[in-house]
This record gives sequence, C-alpha cells and structure tokens, in this order.
Amino acid sequence: MMPAPIVVWSERPALRVELLGQARRLADKVGAEVHLCLETDEDVSPPESYGVHGADLVYSADTTQQGPVAFLAQVVAGSDPGLVLIGATKTGMEVAPRLAERCGAGYAAWAVGIEIDPANGGVSASCMLYAGSGIAEYRFSRPVTVLSVAQGTFQAWEEDGRVARLQPVVCQEEPHLLTVTGERPKSSSRGRLQEARSVVDVGRGVKSPQDLDLVRSLAELLDAQVGCSRPVSSDRDWFPEWLGLSGAKVKPELCVTIGVSGAVQHVVGIRDSRIIAAVNNDENAAIFAQADVGVVADLNEFLPVLMERLKSKGARPAWL
Amino acid sequence: MKIIALVKYSMDVAELKVDATSCALRMAGVPYRFGDLDKGVVEASVLLKEACGADLEVLSFGPPPALGAMKDLLAMGADEATLVEDPYGGNADGAVVVRVLEAAVRKRGPFDLLVCGFASDDGYSHQIGPRLAERLELPLVSYARALRIEGDLLFADRDLEESLQSVNTPLPAIVSVAEEAFVPRTVTLIQAMKAQKKPNNLLSLEDLGLTSDELDQFSAYFALGETGVVVNRQQHMVKGQDLEEMADRLIGYLVDDQVLVLQGGA
Repeated sequence: MMPAPIVVWSERPALRVELLGQARRLADKVGAEVHLCLETDEDVSPPESYGVHGADLVYSADTTQQGPVAFLAQVVAGSDPGLVLIGATKTGMEVAPRLAERCGAGYAAWAVGIEIDPANGGVSASCMLYAGSGIAEYRFSRPVTVLSVAQGTFQAWEEDGRVARLQPVVCQEEPHLLTVTGERPKSSSRGRLQEARSVVDVGRGVKSPQDLDLVRSLAELLDAQVGCSRPVSSDRDWFPEWLGLSGAKVKPELCVTIGVSGAVQHVVGIRDSRIIAAVNNDENAAIFAQADVGVVADLNEFLPVLMERLKSKGARPAWL
Repeated sequence: MKIIALVKYSMDVAELKVDATSCALRMAGVPYRFGDLDKGVVEASVLLKEACGADLEVLSFGPPPALGAMKDLLAMGADEATLVEDPYGGNADGAVVVRVLEAAVRKRGPFDLLVCGFASDDGYSHQIGPRLAERLELPLVSYARALRIEGDLLFADRDLEESLQSVNTPLPAIVSVAEEAFVPRTVTLIQAMKAQKKPNNLLSLEDLGLTSDELDQFSAYFALGETGVVVNRQQHMVKGQDLEEMADRLIGYLVDDQVLVLQGGA
C-alpha cells in the first residue's frame, strides 16, 4: 500500500514552495506523494508548474465563496493524508487549528523539524514553544497530523521533469463567513526584506516619522531593508513588514536593531542573522543579551553621529 | 446581552531562562500573570460592555491562584469571574483545552459574544479562537483591532498581514483581538476595592460534566521533551558619553566581524 500523501497549503507563494520542498524531502524518504492545495482565485501560476517544486498532484479550487478550510477539509477527507503542512501566516494560523478540529487531526504550531517513521507513517515534530524560547518534541497519535510552519524554516525545492497531475475540486459551502465591507491594503516589501543581506529592525523606541527618516538614511548606508517589531507596525501604518514569530523571519549577514526591546516573539524573527548590533537607550533591554554588539544610546543623538562616522571612514557593507 | 471574555493566566516568557550548557528551560520561579494580551481582551470587552450595557464575565482555565489574579480583571470592569481548575498543569493539547472552554461557556451562557486573544501570551499557538469557532459553530472575527456592536451585528477591523479588513457578522460570534490593539486601562483604588465584592466562581471539570479520562482521548500527541533555544552572541557593550568614540567602536566591531569594510583602511 502506498504511504499516506502529504498535503500542503499556504496562501503565500514563497511559503508554499518552501512547504512543498520539505514535503518532497519527507515524501521521498517514505515513498509517499505530495499533494498541493491551490486556490485558483489567488494564484496565477499554471498548477502543473508546481511539479518542479515537488508536487505530484495539485488540487485546485475557487474558494472565493468558501474560504480555505472547507477546501482543505474536503481534500483531507478524500485523500487521507498522514501529514498536512500549513503556512504559518496570520491566515494560516487560523486555518490550521480549524482544519485539525474539523478533521479530528492532531495539531501543533510552529514546526521547525518534521519526521515520518517509514515503518508506520507516524509523525513526530519539533515545534517552537513559549513564543520561540523553547523547542518541544511531539509524537503524534492521530491518523492525520496538521503542522503550521513559519516562512524561512525550510528550503524550497526545484527539480526539472516532474509535471503535477491536476484535480479540480468544487468546495462545499462554508457557513459563518464574515461579510467584508472594506479592505485597505498595506504596502509590502516582504520579498526584498527576506532576500536582504542586511536589515535595520525598528522597534517601539522609534516614535515619530522623523525618527524613521533617520533610520531610512542609515539603512541606505548599510544597503539594508527596513523591518520592524510588531508594535510599531500594528500601531501605525508605517511599515507592514513584521519581523518575528507571526511575521517574517530573516537571516541577513547584519541586523541592526534600533529601539527594539527584545521580546522573544520578535527576536525569533532575527535570531538567525549572522551578526546582530543593537541600539537602545535602556541598558537593561533584553535585546542586548541577544546581540553581538550593544550600544546604549538615544537613537536621535547616536544615529546622526554613526552615519557621519560611517561616511568619513568610507565604510561600506562587505558584500558591495 | 452577555459577553464572556476568555483569558489565560500565562507564564511571563520574558522571564524564562535557558541553561547555556544543558539547554534546559529553567521553569522554576518564572512568574505567571494575566499579561497585556489578556488584559487587552478584557479592555476590548469592557469597552463593548460600556457601549451596549452588556454583562461581562471573565472566564479562565488555569491554576487556582488565577482566581485571585482575576480580581484585577474585575477591577477593570468585568462583573463576574469564573475559573475552571486545570488539572493538566497548563500542558494540555489545544483540543483538550477547547473542549473544557466549550463546556464552560455553555454552562456560563447563554452569551452573545465571546472575546479571546489571537493567541495566548505563553503558548502562542493561536488555537483557541479558531477551535472554539469550529466547536460552537459560530462566526470568528480574528485579529480584531476596532469593535462595535449595532443591533445584532458586530462590526470589526481585522489586522491582517497584507491589509486592514472591515467586516461584520451577526451575533452570537467569537472575536479574537490582535496584539496591542486594546491598551488596558489602569484601575483606581476604589475599582480595586469594589472588585473584591464581585462574584467569583471556582469550577472543576466534574462541575462541567467532564472527566479527565474522556478528555484525554482528544490529546493527539505525546510530548517527548522540551529544550531551550540558546543563541550565543558576543554581547560586546558600547556605552559612554562620547558618541563619536562609541560610533567608532561599533564600526570597529562590525569590521572585525567582516560585515563592514573601510575604504583606505581608516
């Protein structure tokens, strides 16, 4: 009997191919198939093209009227997967526990390591715990296990030659959908942020648009993209590029934090940086324990001096 | 109208320390409290209560000391507090927790609105709102920032990654509030004193008609162990009065770490 397939879903294309990559690696170890759930109303790539990213089969559905949970529940009921990987975006973090509850599946959030036992198909996973302070090891006991996975956790996969089979799905109606009366998009530069060699990460200490201008000038000197910890971006409309457990995770050569306190759910987003430098006026800020260099200074006083010294020394990023 | 606010007596994860050699999590002495996220849940609920004259009950599944700490939530404006005692030491699977909460809100209801956080302050796994919506078959307004009730409709702004979305849905419904969306009020001494006299209830699983044996069947995993995450950083500290000298030291470290190069080697 063919081992149970691995089902993948994320509404975010970059995360989708990362999940496919991990699913492919796991599937190859146990001889299983990888099935992608793709909302045709959200994606313009031809579904077959996901073969090169590791998919054997693409279920496609227009979910405008139903939402992804009805779609996924239908696929789970029909294809009896052993494992379902969901991208841990805000939407994904709602979809995953709903799906688990609806299908009676086991669920854990923030998986960073996944194993399938080739002998019995049993799933075990390492998952971030306590907002990223710890890692827990779980062994699951249900026929189906749902795991959510943050962007930047696993590598995408690319291999020519595989053409995914295509299977359209017509979803059942979902009760209790919300009536949407308005949508105000946030400008996004997430793609650039995740590829950046250097990132300037702005925290709650950055209080005004003038502070932000200063930060942007520094970022320019350091060839950096600007990101922020959650409080800044949710309070104001300055940037949507959240770094952290429920935002983006970055792995740049250099991360300079400005006015970031160091709450663990935020530090998770930057802790894979090669070098972290932190500027904060509070000597006791938690961020200093997470940094290679900590500068205790007021950002409004320090940043202009730093930029002047960078210029006068002719300092430039090592990769330029 | 009745609103039930679901809150968690959570570990202060900022106080969680990791042993650098063994990677063991040091749980001893880590304080528990209703954190800002849960107080934000109560704040959102009190604002709605004040706007539409609802009764507001705060409900939690946690250890007995949580009942005392719920006095602070009563002081913020809740009318009644109920604690269901947790025999799992805070480690139950979300599938178990949601069944306890489901039984609790059914017992303490009928309600028009359930308000919870988008995630708990310590577990951070975002499960309870979505799972409750499935169990109770109610609409869920997740990641809400602004809330208002008009007639039997709930209006909200949802803080999503790519957009701010305005929605409405009929009551009864469930709301999960976004982080930092509602800043908890500070309470006066008089409010704190009045809170002492407000009703509070301590319930057991048995009071809800549940048994551990029955609930254990919903637990979908065995926890094999926990370790802390240790990231070793150099932790050079730069402080002082002379900003120029401090800037030079920072630049020096970044040159040593090969992220910056200096033209002319200055």
